[in-house]
Amino acid sequence: MKIHRIYAMVIRYWYYLKHSLDRMSDMFYWPTVDLLLWGLTSRFVQSQSTDVPNIILVIISGILFWIIVWRGQYEITVNFLEELWNKNLVNLFVSPLKIREWVVSVFIIGIIKMVLSLGFASTLAFFLYKTNIFSYGLYLIPFAASLILTGWAVGLLIAGIIMRYGTRLQTLAWTAIMMISPFSAVYYPISILPEWAQTVAKLVPSSYIFENGRSLIFKQTVNHEELLMSFLLNFIYLSLALIFFKQSFEKAKQQGLISIY
Amino acid sequence: MSPQNVLEVSSLSKIFKSKSKSFTAVDNVSFGLKKGEILGLLGPNGAGKTTTIQMLLGILTPTSGSIKYFGQNLEEHRESILEQVNFSSTYTHLPWRLTVMETLKYTSYLYNIKDRAKRIQRIVDLFRLYPLVNQEIASLSAGQLTRLNIAKSFINYPKVLLLDEPTASLDPETADYIRKFILNERKEFEVSILFTSHNMPEVEEVCDRVIFINQGKIVAEDKPENLPKIIKFSKLELVMVDGLKRTIELCHHQKLNHQIKKRAIEIEIEEKNIAQLLNKLAKKGIRYDQISIKKPDLEDFFLEVVRHKS
Repeated sequence: MKIHRIYAMVIRYWYYLKHSLDRMSDMFYWPTVDLLLWGLTSRFVQSQSTDVPNIILVIISGILFWIIVWRGQYEITVNFLEELWNKNLVNLFVSPLKIREWVVSVFIIGIIKMVLSLGFASTLAFFLYKTNIFSYGLYLIPFAASLILTGWAVGLLIAGIIMRYGTRLQTLAWTAIMMISPFSAVYYPISILPEWAQTVAKLVPSSYIFENGRSLIFKQTVNHEELLMSFLLNFIYLSLALIFFKQSFEKAKQQGLISIY
Repeated sequence: MSPQNVLEVSSLSKIFKSKSKSFTAVDNVSFGLKKGEILGLLGPNGAGKTTTIQMLLGILTPTSGSIKYFGQNLEEHRESILEQVNFSSTYTHLPWRLTVMETLKYTSYLYNIKDRAKRIQRIVDLFRLYPLVNQEIASLSAGQLTRLNIAKSFINYPKVLLLDEPTASLDPETADYIRKFILNERKEFEVSILFTSHNMPEVEEVCDRVIFINQGKIVAEDKPENLPKIIKFSKLELVMVDGLKRTIELCHHQKLNHQIKKRAIEIEIEEKNIAQLLNKLAKKGIRYDQISIKKPDLEDFFLEVVRHKS
């Protein structure tokens, strides 16, 4: 892997961001809408009942943490689609760029944009609801790391599917991540899910993070075994997703799809 | 591998397979490209030229055969080879929201150009891109985009350049400028170029050698000036004053292919028989006021190969 080629791709996506009002707005617009909508709803619920302490913190943390998962996935699939829409894959892969260098570059641009988006949303949450995401302390680091890994795994899986079957499946770039959100238990405990869904939730790495986030708020404890399980599952899924994406790329090369895309 | 060859292609084949059928796009193709040589890869649409180029760039996996650059296998040494190779096609798109300068910049990082700023400035000057540097690609005309594509392909001082119809959408003056630029680069830096074009006079002007490919196979290979010599017939054009009907009858009698073009008749005839034919026309009192003889050129050879094969 060569740093200059990874840097080339990072600046390529950065330039693109600079010129794209739509991409710029989705970094700030949707988090703002979510924070207003769900923040005000939870404030209303809390004003009606004192039985649900910290509901605002739970909901706002859910929104902010979900931004991390979504950013991780979105940057991979949408940047990949961007190359397909521009028919630019051929320009990239007639150069010495390797597919793993491209993957690392979208990981990096994903982290940069996640930091910007999350920074903006946490500041907004602090001013609107006096909610401080940094109250999670150092646990914020493993939580964020695990969540972005989940996003990357889903992103690579979707990019691999689009590479194999074409842009007719591009809607997955916006919808696929929502499939794991009910099982991630972003805003509610896993225990309220039906039994079969609880089993599925155990296979979703982000569910352990959201569950332990709430545990930290309500009980000031974190289950380290669950945290470890989250990383273990992420490691397995990300490895499989990387293999699938690489295989899809090789398949595209065999079928002559790189120049068509 | 010949020591002079910077690119050696051996028994290259590509078969596309689907559930119900298979299609051989490139069939056992072998050729070499010498250092500083400009090799034309010609053939009709669908002949297998682009498929061959895609395999030479490593973006299409061959079914069989080998591709070696500088004596090294492309599959095994992709990274070091592609640092010294580049490609441009009129039909390649670029990221449409980036500016010209941004495109050149990120490309220069892909190839790790050491004197980046100087090289980009040189490329901008050479390809007359200065007025366009801050323009988004989406706003460029087809010709400007082609110019940028070619400019981009020179950014890494390539030793081997694959140019797929590089001048197809350029105006005649710019196309001429680009051709002269390519010839100069070859002369100055011994760049080896694989060149495809449907513009036969351009191929005759630029290429040292040409390969004709049809239905995935190489059907001819020689210098551009030698290939038309294979065709026996020249074209004799007479602008008639009187006796067009009798001339047609004579052509039928002598089994000569001919075409009527308003007042003129174009007859395909062996050069050695022209004098004899003109003599017969004179004896029959047939009069014409203009005569021209067109020797076969590369375009005639192209048509001959395609018609013969189909």
